[in-house]
Amino acid sequence: MTPLLAVDDLHLWYDADGGKVVRAVDGVSFTLEQRGEALGIVGESGSGKSSLALALMRMLPKNVARFDGAVRLAGRELTPLSDDQFRREIRWQRIAMVFQGAMSVLNPVLRIGEQIAEPLLLERRYDKARARARVRDLLERVGLPAGFASRYPHELSGGQRQRIGIATALALDPDVLILDEPTSALDVSVQAQIMNLLKDLKEDPGISMLFITHDIGLASDLCDRIAVTYAGEQMEVGPAERVLVAPRHPYSQLLLASLPRLHSDVPPRTMPGDPPDLTAIPAGCRFHPRCPYAWEDCLNHPPGIPLPDGGHARCWLNDPVVAGDRYQIQLRPTEAARD
Amino acid sequence: MTETLLARSITVSSSQPLLALDDVSMAFRTRRGLFRSGEVTAVAGVSLAIARGETVALVGESGSGKTTVGRVSLRLLQPTSGRVVFDKQDITDVPEERLNWLRKRTAIVFQDPFSSLNPYMTVADLIAEPLVIDGLKDAGVRRAQVRAALAAVDLTPTDRFVNRHPSSMSGGQRQRVGIARALIRNPDYMVADEPVSMVDASSRVEILNLLHGLQRERGVTFLYITHDIASARHFAGRIAVMHLGSIVETGSARQVIDHPVHPYTRALIAAVPEPDPANRFLRRSTEQWQDTPGVAIHADCPHGGSLTLPAVLLEVSGDPGHAVACHLEPPRGR
Repeated sequence: MTPLLAVDDLHLWYDADGGKVVRAVDGVSFTLEQRGEALGIVGESGSGKSSLALALMRMLPKNVARFDGAVRLAGRELTPLSDDQFRREIRWQRIAMVFQGAMSVLNPVLRIGEQIAEPLLLERRYDKARARARVRDLLERVGLPAGFASRYPHELSGGQRQRIGIATALALDPDVLILDEPTSALDVSVQAQIMNLLKDLKEDPGISMLFITHDIGLASDLCDRIAVTYAGEQMEVGPAERVLVAPRHPYSQLLLASLPRLHSDVPPRTMPGDPPDLTAIPAGCRFHPRCPYAWEDCLNHPPGIPLPDGGHARCWLNDPVVAGDRYQIQLRPTEAARD
Repeated sequence: MTETLLARSITVSSSQPLLALDDVSMAFRTRRGLFRSGEVTAVAGVSLAIARGETVALVGESGSGKTTVGRVSLRLLQPTSGRVVFDKQDITDVPEERLNWLRKRTAIVFQDPFSSLNPYMTVADLIAEPLVIDGLKDAGVRRAQVRAALAAVDLTPTDRFVNRHPSSMSGGQRQRVGIARALIRNPDYMVADEPVSMVDASSRVEILNLLHGLQRERGVTFLYITHDIASARHFAGRIAVMHLGSIVETGSARQVIDHPVHPYTRALIAAVPEPDPANRFLRRSTEQWQDTPGVAIHADCPHGGSLTLPAVLLEVSGDPGHAVACHLEPPRGR
């Protein structure tokens, strides 16, 4: 079956001060397999996870130094499309996005209904009466009463604003919904409400999602598969139920070990070192300066090594020839190796 | 009346608390339009005692009043009613100009290391500022103390950090500067208000371990304010769960998290997305808790939730040290 979204060797680099280049997305490949699949893109700030979203939406800043790679949507190659074609046919219609701070995304002087209707009225996709009916449907789908259409953003709570962000993204029935930290400013109980809504939308109408977050627990609550991102690369991709208990990349393991567990007295462990500067990425494996398992071979840049469950891990520990005896090392997420 | 006394005796049980809040309430005046004004009760009847060298976590969602309790405990706010006692001295009504001694013995670590540090100051100046305010004129002594504080928060070698500006540092490093600044006067009592919520996941444990180490090595007493109940389990001996201005449940971290009694505590715990394969794709409780502040009553209440008496903290029978807000008899746990 043709994947819904196939991304192959995507790069997005930025020019920075002093002639440096920020390699925010550096050779990322993944697929979103079918309708209603959710892939979690998990990474810390500076890992390039938000740049990946902007690259897929083609919402690029002015200082782009390199932007290439293949993006196919249901088999259709998107890369050759002109910016104008992409705006008319893809952005918001086929691929839509919910941003992190719904507070700053909504226009404070426009009523909620007008904001949701904006993409509907552009290009005369809907006439005014149909747009109004559509706004009512969208509000209902995200769990808000139709009366919210006449309210202003400041009258809404954070959770309600994020629901408006989701309604706006759903306006043109996209195939893929990209969510960039949609709950990071919300309380846990409100976060749970938004997550319940996303779980519903994943079931019906079966929207496929790229869920970008720093919180691997939150990602695993919604997502079928998880892609762990570090320094512009995907370190590990695999089914969430496997990555949580048997990660195959030391970074995934240390990330999981660093989380304080609610129902366990095993103390969370410190991850040594700091994330690399994306203008001066370490040679070889990007994680090797912080990795407790690193050996000489880690100075060679590892490819994504295929795993039996269809995922892959960018770590030599998964290559029996290179790893030798180390191939047997189990990466248990609650007992990270001491540095 | 006896119930109220019992409740106090539970929450103010530590023999020699460094800090004790006794039935503290805090109301803020609000303005609605030009002429109308209202009142918002942020904290209602909170009693809490923190023993020397102890860490108590105050856990709650936004609007629960947890930050207000922290500020009242430092007398940055004067409570509307109730008493604040620090090291056996009643500081409830002491005017600010006579609180210099308290300012030297207490400190706060703020949530946001991006906005709480002046971007035009160097790390050394930021950390030394409290000493300048104290009138310490000897620049050499100040420098030595700044270096000691930097070393205490693991910003080493200190030479590499003294002349930097916050903008060139990561969130975790900035928060260390905030902690060094809080430490510089060797405080006995520190309020850490969401100290890691704006720090990257992999750096959070380092910051919390650092605070934990200060507690062990220097005997600093902590009030750890957080929305993250999982972190409270690992970094606090005792947890007090706040909801709508009141403490609804308190006990050891294990008592509160492994055997929660109050329905709000249960909902809060169920809402946490633990990274566990058994905890995926669940519909989580999204109970709206629109109770009246101070009356922690709810339909799940085993007593029917129909009482109008204010809830008081009562010990869970058979579970010493574990108390829950209730309107009636001591509830049963486990």
